[in-house]
Amino acid sequence: MPGASHNAIDARPIPVAAGIGLRFPHHDQVLRQQPPVAWFEVHAENYLGGGSVRRVLERVRRDYPLSLHGVGLSLGSAEGLDRAHLGRIAELVRRIEPGLTSEHLSWSVVDGEYLADLLPLPMTEEALDVVCRNVEQTQDALQRRILVENPATYLQFQYCSIPEWEFIAALAQRTGCGILCDVNNIHVSACNHGWDPQRYLDALPPAAVGEIHLAGHALRTLDDGSVVCIDNHGARVAAEVWALYEAALRRFGSKPTLIEWDTDIPAFELLLDEAATATALLRRAAGARHACAA
Amino acid sequence: MPALLELQQSMRAQLLGYATPRDAARAQRLAIYRDTRSGTLVNALRLSFPAVQRLVGAEFFEGAARAFIRAWPPRSACLNDYGADFAGFLRTFAPAAGIAYLGDVAQLEWAVNRALHAEDSVGLDLARLAVLDQPTLSCLSFRAHPAISLLCVQFPADAIWRAVLQQDAAAMASIDLGCGPVHLLIERDAAGVQVHRLNAARWQFSARLCAGTPLYELFDHGAKCPDADTAAWLAEHLSLGRLIDFNLTAPPAGALR
Repeated sequence: MPGASHNAIDARPIPVAAGIGLRFPHHDQVLRQQPPVAWFEVHAENYLGGGSVRRVLERVRRDYPLSLHGVGLSLGSAEGLDRAHLGRIAELVRRIEPGLTSEHLSWSVVDGEYLADLLPLPMTEEALDVVCRNVEQTQDALQRRILVENPATYLQFQYCSIPEWEFIAALAQRTGCGILCDVNNIHVSACNHGWDPQRYLDALPPAAVGEIHLAGHALRTLDDGSVVCIDNHGARVAAEVWALYEAALRRFGSKPTLIEWDTDIPAFELLLDEAATATALLRRAAGARHACAA
Repeated sequence: MPALLELQQSMRAQLLGYATPRDAARAQRLAIYRDTRSGTLVNALRLSFPAVQRLVGAEFFEGAARAFIRAWPPRSACLNDYGADFAGFLRTFAPAAGIAYLGDVAQLEWAVNRALHAEDSVGLDLARLAVLDQPTLSCLSFRAHPAISLLCVQFPADAIWRAVLQQDAAAMASIDLGCGPVHLLIERDAAGVQVHRLNAARWQFSARLCAGTPLYELFDHGAKCPDADTAAWLAEHLSLGRLIDFNLTAPPAGALR
């Protein structure tokens, strides 16, 4: 293959175990102490340049299975993808050979302006066509299947014709992409829109689910007295979300699971502790499955 | 039902405050997204301009950053690349007019940010030059490493930047703001980002070299300047890997000696 990197390391698959989202404040500690973490995931957009930040990523990639999680491709943009940005992500994927590559079911670019948040899409046939086209273009450019993550949303549109869970199942079916099931996001959106989270899980095809995300959320009371659940990635995983995670494992079987924390990032040991909880639940689910199979 | 593009344009207008949502409940929910957007962009600028923030304080910085974000919203999802216009914006930002050197410090911080995040690149293999004859060599123009910036600013931005980041009040107090323009070369080496101060002649040569001026022009110019050491300066840039590639530029007739 022309341009294939002769020093590329073999792609290391992401194990069915608990990983941790690696953020800048923990770079030094991870390189120095080599903590016992099953795998790491990083935000692709933070590693697009060269220099010392790229060296850190290469060392982490050498020592651990690594997953790349994009936050800026804007798969829901009606105007199509930013080709230059897609090209840079493709170059990073070619260099790093991540075990998994993922993005979000959301949009953040219109008229060429980056709006710096994961904005909600109306669940319509037109939006489904747009996202399918953009996912296909991404998978072609990266020469691999990607996982698409269900969003956490704070508002809905009046004219949605497709339930979000059916939208995601159809997206996976039409494009062959996998699903990154963010259990906290299901909880957040279910709280905000009055959905049944179990119904959401039941609609997703287990074979398409390639990864699970777990994170903390916060509650905010608006001026009109209503309470909104906010996906702030700034707390421990809530008890209801651990319960929903167990339900997800019963439905999907054991899957690689990530602990994410992005606001008020705590000591790394706290993330290890959250990962240990996920590991225990993964083991219990695997045990229950074996018991059923016996 | 609006088409998706129309809906996204209308949501952008509401997020940025150019249009009003249909009711108060929706406005409050939209504000959650608006807060995340501003927080993310202000934080991206804080990371790239730490000395500017120390000079003006966190609260003033946030106000300036928000005004900048309104005037110059990002065009790319790679936020390490966001803020190229911040120095120019600060120079015209009336509330900051009392700190005359703020724009210069911001310009230096942007060059430092570029040096930190620029793509990796290896220096030119000198064996590629060794095979060229003299007339061909004089037609070369070079491409500089993407981490390099050459900056000429009115105030001693390098000294201010160091003193502010090291919180060295004594150093800050001893800076002579009237020392005249400073000529800087910013680059990345194995140890990290380096900011060098050059004399004016050497800086001018380096700036023209890195901008792709062909060698015959640089040597012609050097021959007219008594304090120019063109060959030695070129050798230094080459040996430090600051030049990564070259082109052949045909000189105008009669330019070659």
